[in-house]
Amino acid sequence: MQKYLLTIIVVFGLTTAVSADTIKATVNGMVCGFCATGIEKTFRAQPEVRAVNVDLEKKLVTIQTKQGQTLDDAKIRKLLGNAGYSVVAVARQK
Amino acid sequence: MKTTTVISLFLTTVLSTTAQAKPLSYVGGTMVMQENDETGHTLSLDYTFTPITAFGLYLKQEENGREIFMATPEFNTLLKRWNLPDGQGNIFNMSGAGLAYYRGDVQPCLWTGFLADYESRRWFFSYEPRFVWDGDIEKSVWQRARIGIAPYLANYNDLNTWIMFQVDHHPAKHDHFVATPLIRFFYKGYLFEVGYSSNQHIMVNWQIQF
Repeated sequence: MQKYLLTIIVVFGLTTAVSADTIKATVNGMVCGFCATGIEKTFRAQPEVRAVNVDLEKKLVTIQTKQGQTLDDAKIRKLLGNAGYSVVAVARQK
Repeated sequence: MKTTTVISLFLTTVLSTTAQAKPLSYVGGTMVMQENDETGHTLSLDYTFTPITAFGLYLKQEENGREIFMATPEFNTLLKRWNLPDGQGNIFNMSGAGLAYYRGDVQPCLWTGFLADYESRRWFFSYEPRFVWDGDIEKSVWQRARIGIAPYLANYNDLNTWIMFQVDHHPAKHDHFVATPLIRFFYKGYLFEVGYSSNQHIMVNWQIQF
C-alpha cells in the first residue's frame, strides 16, 4: 500500500513538473487589433511561451507555455502592462 | 532645396508616421509611420522604451504654402490612459526640437502637439492640436479631429476596416478648413489609409509596427 501511494505521488509530481500551462488573461482596453499586435510580439519573445492567441471579442489573451515551464501572474500582468493594457483576471489550466 | 525635397520624398516613400496613429507601441517595439496629405509629407520612426515613452526621428516636408523641411528628434509621452472593458482612451504629448530648412535658410525649430483619442471596436474619435515654431521661417498652429466607424467587428486575425472622416484646421494656410473622408485598413501590425481631401489632395498614410 505504501509503495502504491508512493508511486501515485511520484507520478503526480512528475506529471505536474513536465506539464504545460494554458493561461487565459482577461484584458481591458484591448479593442484594436493593430495595437494588440504588441501583446503577441511581447509574449512570443518570452522563452517560456509556446503560443499566444489574442481574441478581441472575448477580451482574452491565451498563452500556452512550453512543457515544464510557466509564467507567474505578476509577470503576465507586467508584460500586458508593458503592451499598454490592464489585466482583469488570470485563469490557468494544466 | 531640390536635394532636400528629393531626400525627404525618398524617406517618406521608403519609411514613415501618421499623426493620427498612436505615437507609442509596446515596450521594445518599433514603429515606422508615414503621412502624405494636403499639408505635405511626414515620416517618423519611433522606438518605445517604457510603457509611456517613445523616442524617434521626425521628418516633415510641408507643401501647403511654403516648402519647409523639418528634421527633429521626437519624444512621445503617454500622459493618461483609460483601459475600459469596451474601449481605450489616451492622451499623448509629442514634441521635437531640431532644424528647419527653407530656401537656403536653416533655423532652429520646435514643435509640440497633444493627441486625445478614444477607440472601441466600433467607434473611433481623436483630436490633435499642434504648435510649430520654425525660427524666423514660420510659426503655426493647426488642429485635427477625426471620427471613424467600423462597418463590421473584426477580430484580431481578420482584416480590420474603418470608414473615417477627418477635419483639419490651419489658421495660417489658404484652406482654413479641410475635410478628408478616408478609409483605413489594418491587419495585425500593418496599417494603411487612403483618402481624398476637400482641397483635392490624395491622402496616403501607412504604418508598420515591428
